[in-house]
Amino acid sequence: MPSASVAKPHRTHLSSRLMRESLLDKKVISATSTQTELAILPDVNVIALGGQSILDRGKKALVPVLDQIVKARKQHKIIIGVGGGARVRHTFHICLDLGIPLGGLAMVAGAVDEQNTRLVSAVLAKHKGIALNKDHFLDLPLWLEAGMIPIMTGMPPYHYWEPPAGTQRTPTHGEDLGMFMVAEVLGARSMIFVKDEDGLYAEDPKKNPRAEFIPAIEVNRLLALGLADLPIERTVLETLVNARHARQIQIVNGLKPNTVLRAINGEPVGTVIYVGEENAPQRGLWGSRRTPRAMKRTPARARHNSHGR
Amino acid sequence: MAAKRRNGSAVAARTASHPSPAAPLQGLLAQPYGDAIKILPDVNVIKIGGQSIMDRGRAAVFPLIDEIVENAARHRILIGAGGGTRARHAYSVALDLDLPTGVLASIGCATSRQNARIMQMLLAKHGGVYLNPEDFEKLPLYFRVGCIPVMVGMPPYEYWEKPSEHGRIPQNRTDSGVYLTGEFLGARSVIFVKDEEGLYSGDPKKNARATFIPRISVQELLAQDLDDLVVERVVLENMLNAANVRQIQIINGLVRGNLTRALNGEPVGTIIYVA
Repeated sequence: MPSASVAKPHRTHLSSRLMRESLLDKKVISATSTQTELAILPDVNVIALGGQSILDRGKKALVPVLDQIVKARKQHKIIIGVGGGARVRHTFHICLDLGIPLGGLAMVAGAVDEQNTRLVSAVLAKHKGIALNKDHFLDLPLWLEAGMIPIMTGMPPYHYWEPPAGTQRTPTHGEDLGMFMVAEVLGARSMIFVKDEDGLYAEDPKKNPRAEFIPAIEVNRLLALGLADLPIERTVLETLVNARHARQIQIVNGLKPNTVLRAINGEPVGTVIYVGEENAPQRGLWGSRRTPRAMKRTPARARHNSHGR
Repeated sequence: MAAKRRNGSAVAARTASHPSPAAPLQGLLAQPYGDAIKILPDVNVIKIGGQSIMDRGRAAVFPLIDEIVENAARHRILIGAGGGTRARHAYSVALDLDLPTGVLASIGCATSRQNARIMQMLLAKHGGVYLNPEDFEKLPLYFRVGCIPVMVGMPPYEYWEKPSEHGRIPQNRTDSGVYLTGEFLGARSVIFVKDEEGLYSGDPKKNARATFIPRISVQELLAQDLDDLVVERVVLENMLNAANVRQIQIINGLVRGNLTRALNGEPVGTIIYVA
């Protein structure tokens, strides 16, 4: 039973349009939408380098990708995000075996991204690469204006506050989501995920070698396909549905020459995933009419989640 | 191409030039694991509402401080601070400037931090310590020496707060952060101290005929698809996926004794549970 009603002490309000309103009220929430959301850094390109797919392969895979980024930096502002890779998977394995809860996994995984950030920043230092700690996120305009290439850890700062995901005991907010959110909140020009596969296939190419390659797909259709195996974290797709700025992303195969450079220059060279037909690639950055060179397909590797890819 | 793949030459060529060092790890995370441990299972996480408690000042806060101090002798208490009217003001200005959700989330933290620091000062002589999120791992130390840690309620998502379907108000605010703190710790209880008895069938501030709901399942509550809620919607969604905190309690902190009863496990206020 509710306790007897008492006279409530006075509340000191600060006058605002949300004063006295419940921020949980659907009508109040909907009234806060805008058609003209500000793009904070609209000319920046966010490039996410896969951990397992690129970094763990070492010099042969990483250096050509970095060369393309340095070349592209002459025309375009670029932020690099790095994934973790094999060491993240190993960390998760040890943690799960020890019974560490989800938030603990999310907290310790970031250290691997940090290692990779330092590796990439050492390689790129003479080309103006610089590690950007998330605490210095607001310094981005300075670094970009100075011609630098900021390198960030991919993992979003969810840490111990990683939302539970039922039976999945590894974080659902990984490096792909972290870099997607950088592109989204900045209103970036492009979001490119550099992986070791050309993009998406209609079926698992491991099981069906004739599986059809998908050069572009609307995200709700992709989610409806219910593919068990995605080259990108599912959370990215679920967030893309509600994106205000980053309404197109491209997954490219960084093991193939010049894909990253071409994607930054506006060519569709992998799979473009977009939300709503109004954001189909023909109407966006990757609407180039140039036919992409016939792409050789690379076989997908077996995997059990998308972490550190 | 397919034929080439079948005889293995394409794969071999690719492997030679780009060896994948991860091969031995394949299948690693598919194996069955034992249950997760609980980090601090005897801790009670208590959220002190911003607009509902802090903004009412001394008349609301001082009695609550007294009650927290009394109970801290018997229970381990971790306090999470809400935001309130200043957060709303900051959100309003940010909304007017057409700024995205991530910016709102990042500025919302500051109001919650102010309230946490204010609570710490009020609790200092009783062992109140401000817990910087970076010092989260020091919690066991603070409890060991009998402190009452106070932390910011907002989760640290900031610019990484995902956009929601409607509007630009961050979905994860102080209710969410406090709940997730309890879920991670495997806490004994998560209690939201507000200025209403709990959940009503409507907004009691606007509709006097709204009826009180002492106990309801998350599933039922979500199915009702109410326009307004007593706790952030994302908390309910997270509860459905949670391993530890499958029940939360919302109490009226303006009534002396409610917090004590809730900490003693009594059904005061509204209990929301996973069916």
